[in-house]
Amino acid sequence: MAKTVYVGMSGGVDSSVAALLLKEWGYKVVGVYMKNWSRDLPGMKCPWADDLADAKRVAVKLGIDFEVWDFEKEYREKVVEYMLSEFKKGNTPNPDVMCNQEIKFKLFYERAMAAGADYIATGHYARIGVEQSGSIILGTGSARPVVTGEPPLATSVVTSGAPQYNTSGLFPPILARAADENKDQTYFLYRISEEALGHTLFPIGDMLKPEVKKLAAEKGLHNAYKKESMGVCFVGEVGMRDFLKEYIDVKPGEIREIESDRVLGYHEGAIFYTIGQRHGLYLDGEKGVVNDGMPYYVVKKDIDKNIVYVSKNLNHEAIWTKELRLRDILLRRFEYDVLGTGSARPVVTGEPPLATSVVTSGAPQNIYSKSPQDNISSRPQDSIFEPFDSIQVRLRHRAPLIPATFDGEVLHFSSEVKRPASGQSAVLYDGKICLGGGIIV
Amino acid sequence: MIYLDHAAATPVDKKVFAAMAPYFTEEFYNPSAAYLPAKKISADYEAAKGVIAHTIGAKAHDLIVTAGATEANNLAFTAAHGEILYLTTEHDSVRRVAEAKGGKAIKVLPSGLIDLEDLRRQITDKTELISVSLVNNELGVIQPLAEVAGIIREIKLDRMRRGVKQQLLLHSDASQALNLLDVSVARLGVDLMTLNAAKIYGPKGIGALYVAHGVRLEPLTLGGGQENGLRSGTENVPGVIGFAEAVRLAKEHLNGNRKKYAKWKKIFLSELSDYELIDKKHALDNFVVVSFDGIDAERLVFLLEAEEVYVATGAACAASKGVRSHVLKAIGLSERQIAGSLRITFGETNDEIQVREAARIINKAVREERARING
Repeated sequence: MAKTVYVGMSGGVDSSVAALLLKEWGYKVVGVYMKNWSRDLPGMKCPWADDLADAKRVAVKLGIDFEVWDFEKEYREKVVEYMLSEFKKGNTPNPDVMCNQEIKFKLFYERAMAAGADYIATGHYARIGVEQSGSIILGTGSARPVVTGEPPLATSVVTSGAPQYNTSGLFPPILARAADENKDQTYFLYRISEEALGHTLFPIGDMLKPEVKKLAAEKGLHNAYKKESMGVCFVGEVGMRDFLKEYIDVKPGEIREIESDRVLGYHEGAIFYTIGQRHGLYLDGEKGVVNDGMPYYVVKKDIDKNIVYVSKNLNHEAIWTKELRLRDILLRRFEYDVLGTGSARPVVTGEPPLATSVVTSGAPQNIYSKSPQDNISSRPQDSIFEPFDSIQVRLRHRAPLIPATFDGEVLHFSSEVKRPASGQSAVLYDGKICLGGGIIV
Repeated sequence: MIYLDHAAATPVDKKVFAAMAPYFTEEFYNPSAAYLPAKKISADYEAAKGVIAHTIGAKAHDLIVTAGATEANNLAFTAAHGEILYLTTEHDSVRRVAEAKGGKAIKVLPSGLIDLEDLRRQITDKTELISVSLVNNELGVIQPLAEVAGIIREIKLDRMRRGVKQQLLLHSDASQALNLLDVSVARLGVDLMTLNAAKIYGPKGIGALYVAHGVRLEPLTLGGGQENGLRSGTENVPGVIGFAEAVRLAKEHLNGNRKKYAKWKKIFLSELSDYELIDKKHALDNFVVVSFDGIDAERLVFLLEAEEVYVATGAACAASKGVRSHVLKAIGLSERQIAGSLRITFGETNDEIQVREAARIINKAVREERARING
């Protein structure tokens, strides 16, 4: 019997190709459109009906079952409410992180498993690490490439089962960056549960975006070159402030220059502004605004007094830091068990291999050998936290990886980094492996 | 390509397009301007309105030109401040306005025809406007409008006898009807009637509301006072010219088209296999509504699309934002019947070969889908 995979289909090319690959690999595939948001907002048409039609059109083309699961109520409760409450506290939350944690890899996962799924799958650019003879092999999570080293199509191989979740007791499921570093989405995935990850396939995780598009076009998928949706799924990056105004009242306040404390103008409510922002500031030309063509940036917010502080100095101390404190930290058991030696990476080669050239073959590329000295089972779970040295941190999606150490509460950088808005995530990596992360205080 | 969705949109007829063209480029003057060339445009505009009006047995000044049927329907409802009744199977552009004004729905029979008993039951002395479309846009069912008008006449007489002053108006959305039915306002007994160019090979975004003498409307848009002060805004001259030409052509081909479509329908249904016919005998000749048992018709739409055959469905489709057809529900179809329903509407882009070919392709898609479901 072929294993059953429920794949989230958004109507975009990535999840469409994910479904296509699963079908070719011999899984029994059920496509699901998650209806999370359908409300049109002023000046913004929610494209859900078109997206749903695109998803279903692809499902019909592939000849797979297709269902629509309505998560609007839950999305509103778990994602939108969270987002609004964070903004009200003066933070800049990331709703995509929450959507993955609460909706796609929780509600969708649970409902799929209850419906008889062996795995769920999504069109995310990310990979799963599985143990194979003492090595960790990064791939789609499907047994296919691991067992045969060959591309698709063997049902018998697929049925041998994929992620080795807890079968050995040694390796919890491992989240790792995608083969396409430019598209990697692990920044949004670091909070998903181990249980869900252990039953997740990322079919396009081995591919580069241009390859995904090319395959879609070759297979005649109509959405091969569909424009990507950017930013927050339902508002788009620019629409966030307008979206918030639907739910939070405008409350005018002062804009002050941080160096001089002079009032330069007025704003619509400090919660609508984000550190680093330079648009949408109503500065009053008569109040000492220096008009030299250089913009003012938001560098600080005082939510209680409803004051937004700005500066022209991009080097102002308020926006640079060598330390970031995290809250709601979520680190994978992986590093306690396997990487607990302090060296998160007992890598044979000494370097995390790069993954770009081999990707299409589907063969394993990144092999992390396990040190034979690691006696994992004997390590107590409540051992004192040992700092992570020489890890890398990502402070926003697609931002460069920055070397850092983490002492369990605070990230330390060797040189100053631009301070991200509070409420954003810091995601920790060791080589290709995503260790988890936390919310920036 | 086989286009079988003429109830949704029709291409602009080449003759219509040719008639409109000069009014975009050369005859562009504002009809309200004072100089002679503009006066000529004004005269052309009125003459075109006259052609449209004449088809329904009215005069140019009885028509308020609007930007399509939706606006005309909205404008019609400004006539009423009292109670409103509307047929439950009406198009959203009637249903939503009626609901917003507290209107009550009149039931339909399983045939899709208006339940005249329910109509009688629901009319009170406060009822002011009744809205019943001439042809339903999903089923093609032709309503017995003259009978409805007869009932209304009775009730009006009774009100007069008893000294009840409330007016009682009949509005009908005739958007789908103009090219296949003889539409005379006097014979149908309507006070307000919505017309639409886009369904009869005319341009989109142009429609009209027929308003009988003595019916008072309130404008939805204020401005320069065009269209008897009821619809301000510079006249859409090319639109009305095109509308008039489309009406003229429709009238010219009326009888030929009816015979042709009736023949195609017969051929289509004899070639199609394994279906249930939903509309049985009251539908317009170019409408075929069928249901395929156990099939998700939206999947069929996509399968057929891949074969370049374009049809509509009454199922919960993405295009209708996941809402199942209220019309198919109202005539008492089961969820299963609704899910498997297709609407096929023939038109001038088709020929007999296409009709046979379409039946063959649909049969194949249904067979494939059944095979897939049965594993």
